[in-house]
Amino acid sequence: MSHNLIEMLRARERDGEPTAMSILKDAVRDHGEVTDDDRRRAAERSGLPEATVYGISSFYDDLTEPRGHRHVAACNGTACWAANAGDYVGDLGERLGLKPGERSEDGEVSYGTVYCLGFCHSGPAFRDGEVVDAGEGALARVAGGAAVQAEEPEGRSVLDEPVLLRPGDWSGLTHALESMSPEELLEEVKEANLRGRGGAGFPAGKKWEFARNTDSPDGKAIVVNGDEGDPGSYIDKHLMERNPDLLIEGMALAGYAVGAERGLVLVRSEYPLSMPALRAAVERAREAGHLGEDIHGSGFDFDIDIEEGAGSYVVGEETALLGSLMGLRGTVSARPPFPAQRGWHGKPTVVNNVETLCNVPFIASNGAEAYSALSPGVTPGTKLVCLNERFRNPGLHEVRFGTTVREICEDLGGGLVDDREISAVQIGGPLGGILPAKLLDTPLDFDELADVGCMVGHGSILAFDDQTDMRALATHLLEFGAEESCGKCFPCRIGLQRAHEMSARPELIDRGRLEELLETLELGSLCAHGGGMPAPIRSLIEHFPSELGLTNGDGPDQPDLGAEGDRRPEEKAQAGPQQPAEDGA
Amino acid sequence: MKVTVDAVEVEVEEGTTMLEAARAAGRYVPTLCFDERMAPFGACRVCMVGVEGNDAPLASCTTPCSDGQQIHTDDETARRIATATVELVLSELPAEPEEHTELAEVARALEVGEPRWQGVQHEPKHDARHPYLAFQHELCISCGRCVRACDEVQGAFALTATGRGFHSNVTAGLDSGFTDSTCVTCGACADTCPTDAITEHLLLDLVGDPAKDGGPQ
Repeated sequence: MSHNLIEMLRARERDGEPTAMSILKDAVRDHGEVTDDDRRRAAERSGLPEATVYGISSFYDDLTEPRGHRHVAACNGTACWAANAGDYVGDLGERLGLKPGERSEDGEVSYGTVYCLGFCHSGPAFRDGEVVDAGEGALARVAGGAAVQAEEPEGRSVLDEPVLLRPGDWSGLTHALESMSPEELLEEVKEANLRGRGGAGFPAGKKWEFARNTDSPDGKAIVVNGDEGDPGSYIDKHLMERNPDLLIEGMALAGYAVGAERGLVLVRSEYPLSMPALRAAVERAREAGHLGEDIHGSGFDFDIDIEEGAGSYVVGEETALLGSLMGLRGTVSARPPFPAQRGWHGKPTVVNNVETLCNVPFIASNGAEAYSALSPGVTPGTKLVCLNERFRNPGLHEVRFGTTVREICEDLGGGLVDDREISAVQIGGPLGGILPAKLLDTPLDFDELADVGCMVGHGSILAFDDQTDMRALATHLLEFGAEESCGKCFPCRIGLQRAHEMSARPELIDRGRLEELLETLELGSLCAHGGGMPAPIRSLIEHFPSELGLTNGDGPDQPDLGAEGDRRPEEKAQAGPQQPAEDGA
Repeated sequence: MKVTVDAVEVEVEEGTTMLEAARAAGRYVPTLCFDERMAPFGACRVCMVGVEGNDAPLASCTTPCSDGQQIHTDDETARRIATATVELVLSELPAEPEEHTELAEVARALEVGEPRWQGVQHEPKHDARHPYLAFQHELCISCGRCVRACDEVQGAFALTATGRGFHSNVTAGLDSGFTDSTCVTCGACADTCPTDAITEHLLLDLVGDPAKDGGPQ
């Protein structure tokens, strides 16, 4: 990230001007597109060079596609894709008379696709303005201009006293400010071994300590990654919209432990209800004296701003998130410097996931020992998981670590609709491996899932039924990967494009060539996007080689050695209708 | 502190990168996005090296050394990743790089052959409106060197990265060409460009008549 640009922004920070990105977003809201006049204005107000603003305006989905007075979007997320709903993207486009990315000539209506609206429990989902409609009849309603806000499931916890699904009551912060020093709180969080819930599983206490120990002349920041872009996951969405007080309390506790006075949340624009819910909660907290100056007479100052993103998956990576939060392009930066050394506006910054911080009030109130006792013998604490539309009881559940994936799928999810069989589940988002049905007894925990090429990730459990075409799934995932690459590092920028092309062509895939490309992505990429996108493809190669259509150069590879549940495409064709490959957007 | 690069021991200061250590040891490490006049960027991933005790190779330009480290510039995996990455770069260009370019030099050094992965390439788009500087956008490999030279060396901030993913590129001002930007015609961008995506006209004249390419397409 350019040192000079950050210094320019830092110089303007006290003026309270909006970021260049938010000025450009306002322009789109006002007149449906970004013009050069808008860019010049954004440059002037943000203090950034015009060229820099041009670069920003060409990066984000919300800024590059023209918008009508009414903007309609079809969810292209993996859960909606897996819903066997046929070509719903094309169908809705036909009804609207528009292709994705187009706007009607009179400027009234525009149409686009979006990677995940967080209604994975009842896909396919569509957004019409601020309303998200999903499930049966949604396409017809949206096409007819009569979208209805879809219902969302209540979260359920297997615990008598939930950690993450109880309303935030500020008792953790009150207790910490009364009876714990910042150092003691930090020690408690380290002792609790709270691991990050956003994908990497990095210990939160270590991150906090790193930032706490970095000197800063002008403060530190706690940044919440509310950019839950992983298709299939609606966990952070639930927490931000249904339980924002718990998140804000967790942020204030992080601020207390780290010595930060500033909190920021970057919420993705694909969740229209999240930002208003968080802003209302911040307002309530200020009125109740939980935020602001000298909180509850403790001498601790902390306040929070909520910012909205502009459409980009990789912004969920922490350095890209910080760029986006400063209004710049959301590209990844090499570390060091780590955000804890030099982050938002150059200040030492902790970037935590939403769910991670929601664990902190419990730890502050009850201590590390009680926290560890929640999931005896394994990773401490609890985990939220969410199930997709294929399940009989899709929804959000708080479970103990160590629960098997089968228990989640069968006991909580009730198996699949229409008595379909699970052929595989993808856990934790698009960078997570795919677990075939025969491995469902794997426990949900960091090491156990890593052993079978999977990860806890965000905690989504996305089932594919026995009608799913695994080659089409590979193409769908790689298309997502290529479209969402930020373009910074070469292996990801070009490699995901090439991997998608290999999978999208109608011919067999040369296995050796694909595997070398995957290795280049895994070992060469700058961040977890390029590094992680190979994981589900590796799973498909291992467990569904025939269905993927691989060749070893001389002919089909392992045609008769397919793993359990793996079938050749012609066998599949007899089993039921195929999921058409998406080529929209 | 001391590190060893391919059996050559070098004394380095705290914060020295592995690339700097390797060069101090007189070892060759290929790079595409690195220019010693600018801060390391970590985009091209061609400067990979092997480090004992590390399973995966590391990008040497952005990784600081630690005391006693054993660095291998000829690590097999590191070379394989670097070579494959350069191969990917060649696959995105509609024409082979000119022999004198840094990209061609690196491809020769790594003995990169015909790219194994083929697909869409960048569409030709030329901009010769400026009297001295010209863009051939299809040759841009998004290494960011020109943008950083304009920012860190010249302080003119006339250039930016554009787009996202495979469609990333570079442009001046509000995509309005060098003339309508804060460009001061210093030529730092053309000087650092490893592919001739930005050139000074004199050089372009050798390969064709810029007037024929006209304005932006």
